[in-house]
Amino acid sequence: MIELRQISKRFGSAVAVDGISLHVRAGEFLTLLGPSGCGKTTLLRLIAGFETPDTGSVWLDGADVTATPPYRRNVNQVFQSYALFPHLSVRENIGFGLRMQGCAAPERERRVREAVALVEMEGYEDRRPDQLSGGQRQRVALARALAPQPRVLLLDEPLSALDAKLRQGMRLELKRLQRRLGLTFVFVTHDQDEALVLSDRIALVNRGRIEQLGTAADLYHRPATPFAAEFVGETNLLRATVVARDPAVARVRLADGLELTVPAAAVPAGVGAVLLSIRPEKICVSKQPLATANVFPARIAEEIFQGATDLLRLETGRGLVLRALVANESAMLEALHEGDRVWCGLHGDDIVVVPGE
Amino acid sequence: MKSIRRVLALASLAVCSVALSGADKELNLFAWSEYVPAKVIEGFTKETGIKVNYETFASGEEMLAKLLAGGAAYDLIQPPDYMAETMIKNGLLAPIDFSRVPNMANLAPEFLRLPHDPAQKFTVPYMAGTVGIVVNTERIKTPIMGYADVFQPRHKNRIVVVNDNRELITWALYVAGGQTNEINAASIAKARPILARWIPLIKVFDSDSPKTALLNGDCDLGIVWSGEAALLYNENKKFVYVLPVEGAHRFVDLMAIPKGAPNPAAATLFIDYVLRPEVSKLISDAFPYTNPNAAARKLLSAEQLANPASYPPGAPVLGAMRAIGKEAAQVDKLVTDLKSAR
Amino acid sequence: MLAPLLIWLLVFVLVPLGILAVFSFCERDEIGRVVFSFTWENYGRVFDATYLMVFARSIGYAALTTGLCVLLGFPVAWFVARCAPALRQRLLLLLMVPFWTSFLIRTYAWITILKSEGLLNSLLLGLGLVSAPLELLYTPFAVVVGLVYTYLPFMILPIYSSAEKVDGALIEAAYDLGCGPFRTFTEIILPLTKPGIYAGVLLVFVPAIGMFAVTDLLGGARVPMLGNVIQNQFFQARDWPFGAALGVVFTLLFAVAYWFLQRRGARPGSFA
Repeated sequence: MIELRQISKRFGSAVAVDGISLHVRAGEFLTLLGPSGCGKTTLLRLIAGFETPDTGSVWLDGADVTATPPYRRNVNQVFQSYALFPHLSVRENIGFGLRMQGCAAPERERRVREAVALVEMEGYEDRRPDQLSGGQRQRVALARALAPQPRVLLLDEPLSALDAKLRQGMRLELKRLQRRLGLTFVFVTHDQDEALVLSDRIALVNRGRIEQLGTAADLYHRPATPFAAEFVGETNLLRATVVARDPAVARVRLADGLELTVPAAAVPAGVGAVLLSIRPEKICVSKQPLATANVFPARIAEEIFQGATDLLRLETGRGLVLRALVANESAMLEALHEGDRVWCGLHGDDIVVVPGE
Repeated sequence: MKSIRRVLALASLAVCSVALSGADKELNLFAWSEYVPAKVIEGFTKETGIKVNYETFASGEEMLAKLLAGGAAYDLIQPPDYMAETMIKNGLLAPIDFSRVPNMANLAPEFLRLPHDPAQKFTVPYMAGTVGIVVNTERIKTPIMGYADVFQPRHKNRIVVVNDNRELITWALYVAGGQTNEINAASIAKARPILARWIPLIKVFDSDSPKTALLNGDCDLGIVWSGEAALLYNENKKFVYVLPVEGAHRFVDLMAIPKGAPNPAAATLFIDYVLRPEVSKLISDAFPYTNPNAAARKLLSAEQLANPASYPPGAPVLGAMRAIGKEAAQVDKLVTDLKSAR
Repeated sequence: MLAPLLIWLLVFVLVPLGILAVFSFCERDEIGRVVFSFTWENYGRVFDATYLMVFARSIGYAALTTGLCVLLGFPVAWFVARCAPALRQRLLLLLMVPFWTSFLIRTYAWITILKSEGLLNSLLLGLGLVSAPLELLYTPFAVVVGLVYTYLPFMILPIYSSAEKVDGALIEAAYDLGCGPFRTFTEIILPLTKPGIYAGVLLVFVPAIGMFAVTDLLGGARVPMLGNVIQNQFFQARDWPFGAALGVVFTLLFAVAYWFLQRRGARPGSFA
């Protein structure tokens, strides 16, 4: 549906996008995820046509649109600030794109009504944007972008201005909407939780390059770079040296001397040093010894109550510090306190080797 | 002769010191713009210690309007003759104490007892002049003798005139052959068609500095004050001054003291000062109008006396402008109307 | 809190207007002083063909000036408003600099430029574009140039203030929804800068009607405008009551124009 071929864009001396190629499939919900300044918004603007690439080309639906101005691309955007026209009513805002397409009045009214129903803003048609709340404006912005029935919808951090509860609700609504309409959504955000919930695929962008492109599960369980491992979710990143391997398992030794067993397939052949990523929730913590492949003792240096979970800082006594996340089951409530000596367990499969070190 | 003058000067000084006992530290002078040289004012202040506040106006009507508005109290004003006539009739001027103006003797007799002030009680002549035609003879080769010659279609957009409605209608009446001082509905009606022909030909109406347009080359001929014409002649002899054959008038600008002036003694002193030949010469040097001061004329150079705009050769018959009352409004309407019509 | 404002209004606005209104019903005597005897005559004369023509012409010139100011001022204001902030300040300063010179001197500067032997003609002759100097000074053209030059900043600044507030995202949104540059201008930019334009029109149109110095200096006082006629009444013709009547009618004209523009949405925050 959308294809970016070797796109580069620089502003002055700063490189925003550095030779990116990306293919967005029709009907998919793709998220561009990354920290501020990584170039994700620039990518979006290149797709919309507000920027022209220095090198490379932009293709929409099989046609080269690199030189086409935004008002001739069949792509609509939901802006971060919503950008609703203050001098027009909700109805007129939503109907704006239709009017530009030359849609006749009766048809236009019908489609505006449809769009209003889609975002559940019935009754607000004659209000002005300054008479709406943040969440309402966001819906109108969405309806306005959808009414002209574009092939692609671009969303530039549309939920960032909403409060937490509203944001949660809108996330799911957006997902459902996309499924229902079957449109291609390209979504930009720096919030990785959002990305994980909404996306079919995520493109992780860092410093103008795509670090990893894959499903949420891919990114979470099999990060392709150290940046990917750290950016998406929480993790413990540890260096280790390979001390032994056989066809089934490999042994790696951490800086403090602790040795862990991982499946041999996870460690590429001929590699002496690896970077390990261990998600906090994968560490089993118990007062009793555990029956996992990797077991070692540790002391709880810090315990932070987080409602449904507890965040623990574990120290092995030999210099290694791990963060673990445990569910607060009622049985455990009494059990874990700061200073306690516990057993930590790790399955070999839960230790992820991160390539590219 | 010199000794007499010296005696007179000393006498004035004596009068001065008597007059200044205690009062009159400043003089509020309300005069035409481009008419009182700075040197004259500075000299007066240096000699008497009286500070001069010099305010200007550009037309007789403006002077009267401001005077009647009464904003500032003026001590010495410079009304033109026809305006002074009205003011005397309406009791606006204070009689001058001529015992304090010994230099009156310097004035040429033809400038005394003029029609507007036959008893010579309220006014003293300052400078006189005429309104006549100036021609840039480098650009215009045909002889120009009068208004009819000026207002030819071939001179369209090359003419500058003073922006004075009273003057305009007077010229028209000269041509129509009427009494120029009888402004009424009938004479206005007579003047109308003439002015209707003339006004579209005029490029610039300027009372402040009509010589500018001629010097700029934007206009080739004009009807202007004689002083302006004299300055043009001094600048370049190509600017020739002609008194129109159909008729011309002489104006005399006067010095007068308005009734209720706060510093009449200082005003009287200034009048006497200005009448000194050497001071009057300074005025002629800067503004080459016709100087009514016979003693001063003796001090002028041959070149100055030869300037035809300042001192018209021959003995031309010159009329005088008299006061008109409410008819000024009708004159203004006529000219506005005709200016609008183009 | 309101008292000082009310006093100011009373002393500087209502009382002078009151005096003007009273004078407009008076007569004048021989010497030109105001005589307090009631008459409608002055207003009768205002509606005379001559003076109606003067009104019409003044309004015409003012309208032309306003139109030109909008056409020239809008692009300048828009461009400056969309510049980077640092550059914006400098450009605004450049716009204001002429204000620091006396109005009269600026007008005389135009005389120097436009006269037959002036800078413009010298340039044109020097470049060989004309064979004889163009007659630019003392023409309606010179008057319009002078008027537009004088009033342009009064149009640029209000429009700039409106233009600055237009969110760039709105323009992108318009593009995004299929609006080409021209339509974006008419659909989005124009409605959002309307308050600025209306303010500018008010600041230019009404004063331009009464401007007489430009007609006198650059126009050679050939064609009387309202300001010239009123000035004449107070000086040359010494008919203050008539001048007052003209002034009152002019003020009423302004009031009507203001009311009209108010209704069309000159108020900030209301968009037609």
